[in-house]
Amino acid sequence: MLDRVARETGGRIVAALAAYFRDLDTAEDAFGDACAKAVEAWPEHGVPFDPAGWLYRIAQRKGLDAIRRRRIRERLAPEPPPPEPTPEDTLLDDARLIPDERLRLIFICCHPAVAPDSRAALTLRLVCGLSVSEIARAFLVAEPTLAQRIVRAKRKIAESGVPFEVPGPDNWIERLDAVLSTIEIAYAKSHEDAASAGAHASFALEVLELTRAFAELLPAEPEALALAALVRYAEARRPARIDDQGSMVPLAEQDPLLWRRSFIDEADVYLKRAWALASPGPRAIQAAIHGTWCWRKNLAEPAPWKQVFALYEELIGHRDDVVVRLNRAVALAEVAGPEEALREADRLASHDLNNFLPWHALRADLLQRVGEISAARAAYDTALALSPESAERIFLERRKSELAGQ
Amino acid sequence: MQYMLLIYEDERVYGPDKSGPAIQEIVAKHMAFNKELGSARVGGAGLKATAAATTVRTNKGVKTVHDGPFAETKEQLGGYYLIDVPDLDAAIAIAKKLPVLQDGSIEIRPLLGGA
Repeated sequence: MLDRVARETGGRIVAALAAYFRDLDTAEDAFGDACAKAVEAWPEHGVPFDPAGWLYRIAQRKGLDAIRRRRIRERLAPEPPPPEPTPEDTLLDDARLIPDERLRLIFICCHPAVAPDSRAALTLRLVCGLSVSEIARAFLVAEPTLAQRIVRAKRKIAESGVPFEVPGPDNWIERLDAVLSTIEIAYAKSHEDAASAGAHASFALEVLELTRAFAELLPAEPEALALAALVRYAEARRPARIDDQGSMVPLAEQDPLLWRRSFIDEADVYLKRAWALASPGPRAIQAAIHGTWCWRKNLAEPAPWKQVFALYEELIGHRDDVVVRLNRAVALAEVAGPEEALREADRLASHDLNNFLPWHALRADLLQRVGEISAARAAYDTALALSPESAERIFLERRKSELAGQ
Repeated sequence: MQYMLLIYEDERVYGPDKSGPAIQEIVAKHMAFNKELGSARVGGAGLKATAAATTVRTNKGVKTVHDGPFAETKEQLGGYYLIDVPDLDAAIAIAKKLPVLQDGSIEIRPLLGGA
């Protein structure tokens, strides 16, 4: 019971506490103390009428207590102790009384003064309530490393004077973009694991919830709405991403009948709202690319490569980077043939791409399709040497084995 | 909170002894900026070129005097502001408005005990 309440409402409670105490550590410790108290009290006195409200109230008291003790230690005059809750208080507890400060907390966690690799970890920890070990697994770093990253980020926020406020209009665009990028990174971490082994699946749900909250808190920001759409389209396809043998399934070969309709319907609503607000920004275009795939009804319907290619052309106008160009090349192979796409892929060649698995995987596929068997084999080998995840490894090995028959 | 804003630029743009027209231009800009800062400004100054720098080093308790700056870098500390503002965002806003003639960096450092 406590686990579920903490998971579902923890982010909101910690956010409210952080806004109240203007200190992340005090908020987190107070919430931890309240949970510890619940472990003792709930089995004995029963689960309170409103568990979230109870946790918030107790945490507030625990936090005030901690501040009081700190003041005594520092030999400052302590504030009077907070009053014990009366029986009426317990009846009055109501989650609706917890102010929704998650927006503030997200902006604090994603402040540009926080190191970029720490922003996503801190957001997942404080706003989504994930444990350090869950986040460490997703980011493929050792638990102590990640714990330290979070401690350092919190210290930076406290010591550099990051305000506990939603940024003003002057900084809005820059700061909003930092938040959206952070959520994208968080989602990418949960999405990378195509097989959704264990803990990751629920982690993707946390990010879905985060984008929902963010879109609700900022209903007039098209890019926030677009991101909510994007992660839903991507998540809708999860059941079709892996076949029976554990191999990754390319988008065009995924059976649309396996996709989760409810996610697609939700995404459509977000995307329409984003489009109604402004001419599409980069995230709205990306969401539209995902949407275009998700609107395919079944495998008999032709794959929407033409529309996808046109959208990538448009996306390049906003975000011209190598990942977008690679994805555009994938679509180019379908609309203009593999030779043309191979020329484009080779034009992208650079030192940085030497260790970039998707580039080698794409080249391998294109070389195979134009009949350059030995070059294709070399490209598959290079890709496989870059330690792909199991689903992608099985896929690449299978494709490579097909070379023998060509 | 009190913050130090440390201004780093390639000092060559101001000439070897910081006396050319570029320095007149930037000084005029800083004068105007000071007015804009009003009471947020606690202090500040421009610094002479690193050619005028002398460094006292302590190594294993032995103090030695050297010609030149602490470290040779592409951009050098050329001046500073000490400001008192509510939070980091206010300091960032000021740093963004700080006049610079070309590429450069403003490092924002909270003062120890500067709350």
